[in-house]
Amino acid sequence: MLTILKLLQSLFQTLHSEGTPGQVAAGIMLGAGIGLTPLLSAHNLVLFAAVMLLNVSFGGGMLGMALFTPVGFLLDPLFDRIGLALLSAPALRGLWTDWYNIPLLPYTNFHNSVTLGSFVVWLVVTAPLYFLGKRAIAHYRATYGSRVLNSKFMKALKASKAYNIYSWFVPQ
Amino acid sequence: MSQRLKLFRWRAVGPLLLFLVLLVVLWIVFADSFVRSQAESSLSEILGTEVDIGSLRIREADAAVDIGDLAIADPRNPNRDLVQAGTITLDLDPVPLAEKKILVDQLRLSGLRFFTSRKAPARPANPNSPAGRLLGETEQWARDKFQFPKLALGRIDSLKSLVLQPDQLGSVKAVKAFTGTVDSTRDAFEQSLAGLQLRPLLDSSTALANRLAKTDPKKLGVTGAREAVDEVQKALDRLKQAKARLASLEQSARTSLGALQQGLSEVDAARQRDYAFAEGLLDLPSFDAPNIGASLFGQQSTDYFQQALYYARIVQRYVPPGLQPWNRPGPTRTRLAGTTVEFPKLKEYPRFLLQKGQIDLATGSAAQNLFKASFGGITSQPELYGRPATLSGSGRLGGDSPVALELSGLSRHFGTAPTDSIAARVRGVTLPVIPIPGLPFAVNPGKSTVGLAFSLAGDRLAGAWEITSDQASWVSDTARLQTASLVENTVWRVVSGLSRLRVRAELGGTVESPTLRVSSNLDDAIAERLRGLAGEALAKAEQKARDAVDGLVDHQITAIRERVNGLSAQLADRLPVERGQLDTAQKSLETELKRLAGSATGGIRLPKL
Repeated sequence: MLTILKLLQSLFQTLHSEGTPGQVAAGIMLGAGIGLTPLLSAHNLVLFAAVMLLNVSFGGGMLGMALFTPVGFLLDPLFDRIGLALLSAPALRGLWTDWYNIPLLPYTNFHNSVTLGSFVVWLVVTAPLYFLGKRAIAHYRATYGSRVLNSKFMKALKASKAYNIYSWFVPQ
Repeated sequence: MSQRLKLFRWRAVGPLLLFLVLLVVLWIVFADSFVRSQAESSLSEILGTEVDIGSLRIREADAAVDIGDLAIADPRNPNRDLVQAGTITLDLDPVPLAEKKILVDQLRLSGLRFFTSRKAPARPANPNSPAGRLLGETEQWARDKFQFPKLALGRIDSLKSLVLQPDQLGSVKAVKAFTGTVDSTRDAFEQSLAGLQLRPLLDSSTALANRLAKTDPKKLGVTGAREAVDEVQKALDRLKQAKARLASLEQSARTSLGALQQGLSEVDAARQRDYAFAEGLLDLPSFDAPNIGASLFGQQSTDYFQQALYYARIVQRYVPPGLQPWNRPGPTRTRLAGTTVEFPKLKEYPRFLLQKGQIDLATGSAAQNLFKASFGGITSQPELYGRPATLSGSGRLGGDSPVALELSGLSRHFGTAPTDSIAARVRGVTLPVIPIPGLPFAVNPGKSTVGLAFSLAGDRLAGAWEITSDQASWVSDTARLQTASLVENTVWRVVSGLSRLRVRAELGGTVESPTLRVSSNLDDAIAERLRGLAGEALAKAEQKARDAVDGLVDHQITAIRERVNGLSAQLADRLPVERGQLDTAQKSLETELKRLAGSATGGIRLPKL
């Protein structure tokens, strides 16, 4: 229950943040990468740094991660098949062999079927995710945004100290 | 005018650095326990048994790892550890770590102990894990490939009744199949003989000879005589061809007869197996010395060979030859583990390499504990390393009653078939009591010398296991022994006075068809006493089994034997007769040819026929 409340809180914070719909959608897109792929891989450190350092919605990133982590669990068997097919493809064997022997790259666990499959799926869905997210947020803000923004819940949320810390990451 | 969107959020650099510092702090605090947990999990998965690590400390500055209190449980006995190691220090080469590869420059191990009791039973291996499956397969292999006769000595005193069904007997099936062979051989012979068309040829040749015999060559004239000569020569050619075909048929018939005799031998062999089967139903003990050795110590020896084969197969599984990509299960985690594929490359580091290791036990009094061993070349990709993994060690272990240990091993997984071998000899070790299967007593070998050698090269097996003791003692289950049969009591009387024990088991063949020969110094003594005591009763029981088999198959075997003999006699009788008739016809024609030729050439001498 607490997780769902936190997710809702994150959702509203993100939808009403100062960022443009594009910044929020970009944050969601990067967060989806962290959520879809197994967490303990070096590429997630890069994605997390990108969410923090790039001028995208940090809340969007957290929201993307929260939304896509369960999706990742559900789609693991599919990722496994895609990843194993890619790792077993004779045409790609030279590439994987080179990558496997390049310093630091093995820490991304690209040679694990689930990690590679989920990362490739994420790469494929990044562009659709970005444009769909951007459009959906713009539509929300134009229709329901002002009513929710003036609700007691959002006012209480904005008044909290947590919001002050969160505002450090609000896109400029 | 709208403000230009900035790409970077520079004020997040501070929190990001803070996050990275937090990660480092988490690593410092939790890395040791995290790596320890991962190492326990991986080693347990690989070895198929519980592996516990008491402590693990990573010394980043020294690129070294200290491991304390390592315990590897016995996969076949959860209440004991195979090996316990006090401290292990690994000196790592830091450069390959950048490629997530572990290269151990040197490993030092101390405080080694074997076969110690566990405080808590070990968790059983997951039967679906690769190691769990291998363990199950090797246990099944031992059960399937080695069955030892039990010295069920009580049964000889009172024979069971024996009822056999024809479909239980191999000889009945063999006779049925062989009858078809005999019939088809006879039919084929008859057809081939008929196909030679000897009768018309003989008739025409005889008629020609008779006609010419009544003819005066001078009355035929030169042309008539020449035509008659041509006719005779053609008839002779036909006779010679028929003789050649008959000779060929004779040869083929002899081969078929040989095959039929072989078939009869196989039927006889099947009957011998049926005798053994029927004797088996009576649970008759075998008093042959080799069988007694196998009955007494066969199970014990296969336990050792089975364990050795299990570990050899583990090595073969995790150390694949060649440089092909290699699939292994992914890491254990909440998400699906998936498959991790390794892509070895020439002139690169293997994923794991232990270059050199040392075990040096010189604790306590140097005179009591002095054991040194070295090993090296242990790698996950031997093709990259190009040298075999080796192990050698010797020395003394123990306190007041030390044991002397010598061991050597070699694992070569490159080039042709992978080869794994190990040899160990322990002197002065106190062995546990060995129960004798099916009998109410056991042998306590006391202080003994134990040797084990095992090698698996491709699928070829070779091994030897031996026990030598001069302090053996025998213990009996007194209650069972009181109610035991006369024969069991006799065996007890033979063995209970013996303090000298020599057992040797030799393994050979292939994994699919292994051979095992077990012998001991007790075999002949027991066999001789038992034959003297129970020989008459045993002979009676064996005769009973034979009678039961003969009652079902004897008349069938006799009938088929008679058919084979009949066919053989038929061949022996008919073929010489046919050959003789052809010879006679040929001689008659040759006589006429000489007579005609003299007339046709007008007195010119013809070359001798």
